[in-house]
Amino acid sequence: MTPILSVRDLSIDYRTRRGPVHAVRDVSFDIEKGETVAIIGESGSGKTTLAVSFIRLSPRSARITKGQILYTNDRETVDIQTLPDDELRQYRWSECAMVFQAALNSFNPVINIWEQFADTARAHGMKDSAKIHARAQELLDLVHLDPDRILKAYPHELSGGMKQRVLIALSLLLEPQLIILDEPTTALDILTQRSIIDLLGQLRKKLGFSLIFISHDLSIAAELADRMITMYAGTIVERASVTDLFYRPRHPYSVGLLRAVPRVSGAMGSVASIPGSPPDLIRLPSGCTYVPRCPLAIAACAEREPDLVPVDTPNHEARCIRWKTVAEQVGTAEVAVAEKIATA
Amino acid sequence: MTAAAIPRRGDRTLPGPIEGGLEFLRLLSRRPSGLVGFAGIVFFLVLAFVAPIFVPNQESGDVNAIYQTPSAQHFLGTDNTGRDVLNQIVQGGKEIIGVALITAFLTTLVATVLGSVSALVGGRFDAALVGLADILLTVPPLIVLIVISALARPTNFLALALVLSLLGWAGLMRQVRAQVLTLKERDYVEAAKSLDLGLTHIVFREILPNMRSYIVIHFVLAMTGAIYAQVALIILGLVPFSGKNWALMLYFAQTQGAFYFRDAFWFVFSPIFAIILLQLSLVLFVNAMEDIFNPRLRSS
Amino acid sequence: MSVADSTVAGRAVIELDHVSRAFKVPGGTITAVDGVSLAIGAGEALCIVGESGCGKTTTGRMLAGILHPTSGRLLYEGEDVWRKKGNELSTFRRAVQLVHQDPYASLNPTRTIFQTLSAPLYRHKKAKGNRDATNRVRHLLDVVGLTPPDDFLGKYPHQLSGGQRQRVAIARALTVDPRVIVADEAVSMVDVSIRISLLNLLLGLRSEMGVSIVLITHDLAVARYFAREGRIGVMYLGRMVELGHSEALVSDPAHPYSAALIAAIPEADPRITRSKERVALKTAEVPSLLALPPGCTFHPRCPLAEPGLCDVQIPELLPLPADTPREVACHVAIRERRPAAELLA
Ligand SMILES: Nc1ncnc2c1ncn2[C@@H]1O[C@H](COP(=O)(O)OP(=O)(O)OP(=O)(O)O)[C@@H](O)[C@H]1O
Ligand SMILES: Nc1ncnc2c1ncn2[C@@H]1O[C@H](COP(=O)(O)OP(=O)(O)OP(=O)(O)O)[C@@H](O)[C@H]1O
Ligand SMILES: [Mg+2]
Ligand SMILES: [Mg+2]
Repeated sequence: MTPILSVRDLSIDYRTRRGPVHAVRDVSFDIEKGETVAIIGESGSGKTTLAVSFIRLSPRSARITKGQILYTNDRETVDIQTLPDDELRQYRWSECAMVFQAALNSFNPVINIWEQFADTARAHGMKDSAKIHARAQELLDLVHLDPDRILKAYPHELSGGMKQRVLIALSLLLEPQLIILDEPTTALDILTQRSIIDLLGQLRKKLGFSLIFISHDLSIAAELADRMITMYAGTIVERASVTDLFYRPRHPYSVGLLRAVPRVSGAMGSVASIPGSPPDLIRLPSGCTYVPRCPLAIAACAEREPDLVPVDTPNHEARCIRWKTVAEQVGTAEVAVAEKIATA
Repeated sequence: MTAAAIPRRGDRTLPGPIEGGLEFLRLLSRRPSGLVGFAGIVFFLVLAFVAPIFVPNQESGDVNAIYQTPSAQHFLGTDNTGRDVLNQIVQGGKEIIGVALITAFLTTLVATVLGSVSALVGGRFDAALVGLADILLTVPPLIVLIVISALARPTNFLALALVLSLLGWAGLMRQVRAQVLTLKERDYVEAAKSLDLGLTHIVFREILPNMRSYIVIHFVLAMTGAIYAQVALIILGLVPFSGKNWALMLYFAQTQGAFYFRDAFWFVFSPIFAIILLQLSLVLFVNAMEDIFNPRLRSS
Repeated sequence: MSVADSTVAGRAVIELDHVSRAFKVPGGTITAVDGVSLAIGAGEALCIVGESGCGKTTTGRMLAGILHPTSGRLLYEGEDVWRKKGNELSTFRRAVQLVHQDPYASLNPTRTIFQTLSAPLYRHKKAKGNRDATNRVRHLLDVVGLTPPDDFLGKYPHQLSGGQRQRVAIARALTVDPRVIVADEAVSMVDVSIRISLLNLLLGLRSEMGVSIVLITHDLAVARYFAREGRIGVMYLGRMVELGHSEALVSDPAHPYSAALIAAIPEADPRITRSKERVALKTAEVPSLLALPPGCTFHPRCPLAEPGLCDVQIPELLPLPADTPREVACHVAIRERRPAAELLA
């Protein structure tokens, strides 16, 4: 089966006065129909830059220097970069919808929720108000909101969690096949966050769309994702199924991220921050970009940037020449990495 | 441990006045209108304060050569007593710009001090000052100006500047107060309070430096206001100035009936142009400053 | 004897005694904090957790003496702070320092790190002359892990990362040798990858300098890590609903609200998080502070609520007789002498 979205060797630069910022470098991955992929990585690793390019909404200073983004629906495969403007408009929302980072503040404050729905629908050729209204009601119902009350409300009258749910409903308006959520639950309370996560899980089952979500919160990924992508300094350093990444990580950076989050239940293990900070994306070192922070780095690591190579299984890849050493430390048991390292 | 690591002004990491100035010019150079305005201001400052040193003041004119049109001898023609107009333009900027500078300085100083103290102290002091400012703001300024000038008869330009700033501080004071009220809620001000750093430190070290741009912009705006006000007063003959000054030129042009001589065009319009160009320079400069100081525009 | 007394018996550095704080808002008056009592012992690490708007920040600001309580007392070494004047009050102010949430707003953008850190030193005569101040600032930067210190002296806040700024904010708090640091969401805006090191820094100050640290957070995992030798307090709609030793609270929450929170937290472990037992609440709706329900404010959502009891009487924070001492404000848990987590199971 052809993947719904296929990203091939994608590189994106931002032009700045100091020189080009290599925000995304040689990123390739596929997303199958109905699949949920989580992209994790610390701040500045290029997650948003990557996701925004899927709907061609990158800021003007961004430039795709290399690669392709291919989208496939029932009928055809299109290259997002060469899509003509009218088709692009159709593609956004009706094929692929994105909920932006900090989107809670992106509502137009002076129009009510109904008008937000109506505007979006009209912009995509839905003309019949009654139909739009029926659809909006159905969607708000789906996200467990009271349609009659919410449609009349203005954004400031809603709580953060309600706004987030309205945004999800809005993104479903045109029945897209692919939904991208950038930090969907940061800035939400625990109980609200829980209800959004549960909601996303249900919707995904019911509607069968593919989901990309971006987060530096590993716990939401653990909850929802089928597959995981770890990004570091603009590039993919590890790609694995959710269980492989959480229990059998093979890149030291993934290990570092997993150890950096304390847990509420179970043993605490050895929790630790990743020392140092990410490299300057304008002047990247020649070898592996993680060397200065990596506890396992050897001289060979700094020579050239390693390739993304299969480890353990063909579906699990890591960009590390020391992955076998990582494997020795972490093993294969389904126990949290922090615990394993504590006992080792 | 070497003394070299002790940060001083002039250290590479601290922007000193020179680096700061260069950075400012670099930012300004990306806004052509602002650069034009800045050039205009420099031009007028030189014209008003440097040029008179080199150009001798012409006291009396040639009565046989009144209302002349421009010629090689008189670039801007002559006035009703046959004096060179260009010479008067050169001599006549000092007072206008001087009064504007002093007024702007006094207005900004008073407004900033009162505004920030009012916001920080609060209570009755604040209420009283705001009330006073409101009263000043509700009366039409030109009328008050005319009344005060008529009563007080400011005979030198320092007195005029005083009168102008007495009337001008209220608006800016309210704006400064509003700014300080928001700045004082900032976390770092709260931190300074709980570190017990004292009111003086909070005002002069924590709050005012963050209003630098705001203050500079309002300083320039106060200058434009002061220029209009004094020109109006002088043309109306309410300020019994003697000497040379663009507004006085207009006053004489008007009282001597120069408006009725076609050849007096240059005599009448030269000061008008000078005033307009000066104001335009200031306004262009301020507009560019607003852009530059807006950090969001700055990073782009 | 309450838990607070047993842990910090008589040694409380600072203590909130039934403090409340009301705010006038459009539409009426809200009680952001309602009758909270909390004693903080010397060198204690305590976490206050709860959802947005439950009054954590307001409590923290009252602890730091920045906000005046509407009622109740704030005691510093047993004396009522708000009865003090002038000098004494400012001594107290310095003794409790606040570290704010937003590292981008808590440092003055126009001042260098050296200027920010040296001002309190000069002001309080802890340094004489430029050289002495520089050495002290260097030492402070070293303590908070900004090394080599000389690289940071002349920098402006915008030249630092969020985590580095937060370290500067901590160093600034240390300039006045505080007894207590109230860190309000001090790690929630810095990247996950460096959170732990900031928490470790704060814990280190506690063990090495004996500074008590009150960490306010909405992240229970962070709270558990931070307060693993101390206590966690859970707030709900302005009231403290549970206060107890961290491990006990997390593994066996005594209040149904704490139980619901802990059950709802997603965890960075697919197996655990996908098989977690949820606590089903009656409704997801959080009551407005303007129209709080009578009795226990959690009763409309509480699966254990008993009509005629919970919706009538406000529960007090009382010690729960169990192996690990803790206090809980729940009629049912107190009556059954068992934590809510067990009652819900
Ligand atoms: N408009 C821009 N111009 C120049 N550089 C940019 C721009 N936007 C982002 N960058 C840089 O590109 C890199 C990647 O940024 P991006 O926003 O994609 O990161 P992210 O992984 O989404 O981070 P976060 O978790 O903080 O959202 C960063 O180093 C950032 O500084
Ligand atoms: N100065 C104020 N004026 C009016 N209302 C206020 C003020 N400060 C706080 N409040 C209100 O008091 C309640 C408690 O606020 P507080 O900031 O203490 O909550 P919090 O627990 O810190 O929340 P968060 O997790 O979002 O920071 C909120 O409803 C808030 O709107
Ligand atoms: Mg992002
Ligand atoms: Mg808060």
